[in-house]
Amino acid sequence: MSANSSNLNQDTIDLDRLHAAVKREKQDLQPGAEPVPMWVIFLAMVVAVIAGGQLGMMTGGWKFETANPFLASTPLDPRPGSGADAQTADPFQTAMKKGSSGYAVCGGCHQGNGLGIPGQFPPLAGSEWVMGGTERLIRVVQHGLVGAITVKGQGYNTPGGMQAFGAAMSSTDLANVLTYIRNSWGNEATMITKEMVEKVRSEEKRSQQWTESELAPFAEKNVPGEIPAGPGATVKPSV
Amino acid sequence: MMQTHSIPSETDSQADNTRRAAIDKSVKGPVLFLFLNAAFWLMASTILGVLAAVKLFSPSFLGDCSLLNFGRLQPAHLNALVYGWGIQAGLGVMLWIMARRSGQELKSGRSLLYVAGVFWNIAVTLGLIGIVTGGSTSMQWLEMPKWTWPILLLSFLIYAWPMVIMFGRAFRPEGFMVSTWYILGACFWFPWIYLTANVCLNCVPSLGALAAGINAWFVHGLIFLFFAPVAIGSAYYFIPKITGKPIASADLSKLGFWSLAILSGWTGMQAYMGGPLPAWMPSIGAFTGTLLLLPVGVVGLNHHLTTLGRHDLVASSPTLRFTFLGSVFFPVTGVILALLSNYSIGVTLQFTHATYGFQIVSVYGFFSMCVFGAIYYIVPRLTGCEWLSVRLIRNHFWFSTYGIAAIVVTSLVAGIQQGADLNNPEMWDQDFMQLSMNARPYMVARALAWGLITWSNLWFLIHLILMVAGLGRRSSAPTLLHTSHDDTPHAVHA
Repeated sequence: MSANSSNLNQDTIDLDRLHAAVKREKQDLQPGAEPVPMWVIFLAMVVAVIAGGQLGMMTGGWKFETANPFLASTPLDPRPGSGADAQTADPFQTAMKKGSSGYAVCGGCHQGNGLGIPGQFPPLAGSEWVMGGTERLIRVVQHGLVGAITVKGQGYNTPGGMQAFGAAMSSTDLANVLTYIRNSWGNEATMITKEMVEKVRSEEKRSQQWTESELAPFAEKNVPGEIPAGPGATVKPSV
Repeated sequence: MMQTHSIPSETDSQADNTRRAAIDKSVKGPVLFLFLNAAFWLMASTILGVLAAVKLFSPSFLGDCSLLNFGRLQPAHLNALVYGWGIQAGLGVMLWIMARRSGQELKSGRSLLYVAGVFWNIAVTLGLIGIVTGGSTSMQWLEMPKWTWPILLLSFLIYAWPMVIMFGRAFRPEGFMVSTWYILGACFWFPWIYLTANVCLNCVPSLGALAAGINAWFVHGLIFLFFAPVAIGSAYYFIPKITGKPIASADLSKLGFWSLAILSGWTGMQAYMGGPLPAWMPSIGAFTGTLLLLPVGVVGLNHHLTTLGRHDLVASSPTLRFTFLGSVFFPVTGVILALLSNYSIGVTLQFTHATYGFQIVSVYGFFSMCVFGAIYYIVPRLTGCEWLSVRLIRNHFWFSTYGIAAIVVTSLVAGIQQGADLNNPEMWDQDFMQLSMNARPYMVARALAWGLITWSNLWFLIHLILMVAGLGRRSSAPTLLHTSHDDTPHAVHA
């Protein structure tokens, strides 16, 4: 600053320097009164029109249910067990459909037509073991079966018997497969539900296969349990 | 309208100088603490930016180490930029401007501010370590492990509190406080969006697709309700301060402030236009995202009118040069947002590199440039010495400018190419991988650009460290970039 004033001592110069940045600052001024120009207002309107174009039909009518404003009708709720799905899906049909793919495990021996191979693998079509008591059927598939048996008047004694295939399936899958075999190839019998399978699983924890005589007490027994209402699901037990 | 320059009497101006020096002294510690730590994080962020960009075109770079995957480097890079640098440096600028503009010293609680600053930095450090070690939450700009957010929020509030008090105590003539409106707004808006986003995303279970929308809302909110107000507030303070002209129009200031305040909180969800959200949510985001051109344009015009006729000062004053460039990048940010928000263009640009371009132009091109300008003004007043080297400042300016411009342009062009190719029926036989590979040249350019910026920041950091250490120039004349105007006294420039 005033470098020419020789009467300043060193301290004052130092203080000058320290505050130099503050001293050289310009004053804060009251903002000017420039009005908003006309063309700014015009451009703002143009912006508003373009912005408005992002609303309109793109809002889908401000409805929480509409994600795609271009669909003519509101799509149904895709979640299982809700909306239209719940009304049209018949638990029996679902079980039959899923059971048919689960049957691939069984088809190797019992064959796709459910007739088995005479002398080797007993048939499922028309079998009293399949359409009889659900208690015995679930136990056979869950734990396996070994030794001599009689199916539709024919004797079978496959070496090794049938393994516990059901033990490897989830109770839903097993219930679906059992429902499928009870209602295919001319068979007609009640659905077997997941809850029934679970009930048997919790009551019986054996690890060996059954024999025909051990299962005799269960031959006509049905596992108690609700059968969902719907076409095909309410068929009376044939035995 | 120019004011009559009534020169205050000698004693008045002495008292005023002393008062301002006392205010500077009262906030010196916390502000320098924030600036220095922020500059370190900026350095870290730009280095991570280089590494992440190289990973994009050469995935085997740095080997198979899981700590250095692109998926961890990129969020670490952006979180260091946003929380380490952006908000931290922003708080420093806010505190200084608020104290100065309100004419209030920081009376007490300085040690609490240091503690909050230390906790902020610890939380960011641990948060970034959390990201690179695999603890990322995978939510954009909120990737740091979820226990960090209460610490960050509380630290921010500890800084916001004295600023709100200062504003409350200040003598506030009509239309005089434009810069502090914005800063006061940022004090409230950041806690609002940060708390809302974190509570929704971390504490409310199973929001599903809506969580993505809230996340996008948070990113846009942070840009337009924190970064933008701080940078605009800083520009509104420093442009008149350097040019010596008053803010051109009080009307435009009001219009710009209130339209930004009203519109910004609505935008963001257009990032998921066409997605599984109720259609009106992206739609209203696109609407307000486009309408934001209004505050962007009005603020830009006001800054332009204030600078008009004093463009020689842009060449000479480091503060004005950085602030000027930042103010130019603000309209660019607004236009890019409007493009990304438009349904017909969003079809191409959505989910492409263009999004990254938008984030970088807003946080770096616009916000950071304004903050650099503020730092070049504030630091000499706090440390009592002048910036050492014109060349370092010039390097910082040009390498940053070219780096940012390159990143933004290449990201946009890459985005257009990527999006157009993905939508193009002629490209049916090209798989997604091939289309990504086609963007490789742009990614090489991005890595080079971050390299340039790293170089500029290295010198900025060293320069700042020397200043804070009190090793700046001992002089009463400011460090100016251009000294050809020998007829003008130095005092006019800085």
